[in-house]
Amino acid sequence: MFTKVLIANRGEIAVRILRACRELGIKTVAVYSEADRQAMHVRYATEAYLLGPAPSSESYLKGDKIIEIALKSGAGAIHPGYGFLAERSDFAQAVEDAGLEFIGPKPSAIAAMGDKAIARETVTKAGVPVVPGTEGTGNLSDEELLTLAPEIGFPLLIKATAGGGGKGMREVTNLEEMPLLLESARRESKSAFGDDNVYLEKLILGARHIEIQVLADKFGNVIHLNERECSLQRRHQKLLEEAPSAFVDEDLRQRMGDVAVKAAEAVEYESAGTIEFLVDKDKSFYFLEMNTRLQVEHPITELVTGVDIVKEQIRIARGRKLSFSQDDIQINGAAIECRINAEDPHNNFMPSTGHISHVVLPTGPGIRVDTGVYTSSEITPYYDSMISKLIVWGETRAQAILRMRRALEEYKVVGVRTNIPFHQAMMDSHPFMGGQFDTRFVEEVFSMEEITEGKETFSEVAAIIATLVQHEQTERAAHVVRRNVRDTSNWKWLSRWERLSK
Amino acid sequence: MMIYITTIDGKEFLVEIIDDRHVSIDGKIVEVDFESVESQPIFSLIVDGKSYEAYVYEGEEDIEVLLKGQLYHSRVEDERERRLRAASGGGVVESGPYHLKAPMPGLVVTVSVEEGQEIKKGGVLLILESMKMQNELKSPRDGVIGRILVGAGDSVEQRQKLLSVE
Repeated sequence: MFTKVLIANRGEIAVRILRACRELGIKTVAVYSEADRQAMHVRYATEAYLLGPAPSSESYLKGDKIIEIALKSGAGAIHPGYGFLAERSDFAQAVEDAGLEFIGPKPSAIAAMGDKAIARETVTKAGVPVVPGTEGTGNLSDEELLTLAPEIGFPLLIKATAGGGGKGMREVTNLEEMPLLLESARRESKSAFGDDNVYLEKLILGARHIEIQVLADKFGNVIHLNERECSLQRRHQKLLEEAPSAFVDEDLRQRMGDVAVKAAEAVEYESAGTIEFLVDKDKSFYFLEMNTRLQVEHPITELVTGVDIVKEQIRIARGRKLSFSQDDIQINGAAIECRINAEDPHNNFMPSTGHISHVVLPTGPGIRVDTGVYTSSEITPYYDSMISKLIVWGETRAQAILRMRRALEEYKVVGVRTNIPFHQAMMDSHPFMGGQFDTRFVEEVFSMEEITEGKETFSEVAAIIATLVQHEQTERAAHVVRRNVRDTSNWKWLSRWERLSK
Repeated sequence: MMIYITTIDGKEFLVEIIDDRHVSIDGKIVEVDFESVESQPIFSLIVDGKSYEAYVYEGEEDIEVLLKGQLYHSRVEDERERRLRAASGGGVVESGPYHLKAPMPGLVVTVSVEEGQEIKKGGVLLILESMKMQNELKSPRDGVIGRILVGAGDSVEQRQKLLSVE
């Protein structure tokens, strides 16, 4: 049984995994790029080793080097976190071949779920419903896709076969615009994944994105930890998640849970994984994909179920049975996660890089912040723009919303622009409060301006603040000039200075 | 005593700084206690007993105040500046070349235009990848593409000039 774990990741998730290891008394090995020498995960780990230059292709994606460091440092297992190497079956295989434990599913399960076409074929056989599309038909040419598109019907989505996180994804409303969109989807996919294969999928309108967390051990025990509501997205990037979903009733929860367990069993899944579903307004649901890794939004499930998912992953990798049975899993209260990104919501969510000169974290009852960013750290263009995850728990969904409002107001990040004002507006939005939204809500319905329109404005206060800032600056500038004017003649100054230096 | 004309999102306020503790806004005198807290640019203002906290971002032209989750664009001028601007006709001049600068460091994925090409307002000029996201940089107005200073595959620094629209 391993007693030292290498964490092949950076940022908040590396810190999250380190914390679980520390609590379990497991030693940790961090790896880092030149840009991350001062990062929290490097400082919190028992050991730390340099991987290479800042770009991830020269550091966090260097699987061979990471395995070499694991062997050299005597780590018995590797936790990949999310992103980077987490869903690369060749890496998981190489870890296994090196005689190390991969804290995650078997390479075969990653491969089966990683190729979206194979994934859809596998789960369909297990009786899991999927969204209509060019499933399991291999890599089709543009001509073939253009022929098949009208059969699936518009609107539809072009998705990257090797994809995830919305990269290489395009929405098509008619056949005429499709060739150009295919070209750009392939280009983006090629640059992001080194693979330009794409497939088509029918776009379900009014759909919600709801996922089920599963846990499976090496003895064939599979349980689910209920759902997470992830419909609030922008450019297919999740911005805010909650558990449980206001839309899911007990009957739907049970049906989705059963199907999720079936899907996991179909690939002999081990460790923590997530089955993503699209749920339409009639509560029919379709399998989207399985994420064969720890999810960014796992903490909300932890808060409402009381299960520490990362510790459970480690336990499973150590060859132990799950600590819970399905009957032990209950939902207690409600949890919301806001992803705090270095993006300016007042300027089309433009990424913002820079030096974090100051951070004030919200604290107090019911609040959890998972972050790798601290005062004096840098937000670089090399990695994604997430600064932290702000997670709150409340007795009810309404309580959780009120608590999130309070937490967002306390949270201060100085040095880069953040999307905190976006989340504040979301907490004030009536459709959000009423649980009335779908995956299009953020991009097509929600408007920060509209939310703030009806609200009390503080133009007068803003005017006083702006004027005082400007005034202080003018005064300071005048002061600097005055200080340079000496009160005695320059000759006297010179003689004094000469006497001093004798 | 200093008198400023402060514009917040198009609305004008006459603000007089009376002394360290007193300000008059549109003729109404209020007691203020204004301090920089934590670290710039967070400020705390207590005005007539009410406590506010705000971020203040100073741009080239204006000052942005982020207060209670809302962003206020403001311009602060003293009387002299005001007269000067009035004399020069005021308003934003739409002539002269527009220089597109990188809003953040990143990698140029594609330059979507060619030198001498006509461009409409909102037309895509260039795609810049940063933080794993591709960002379309658009033209703020109609014009003709002037010099292009970068090519696909170039890494650029923040505020580096990329191209101009004339």
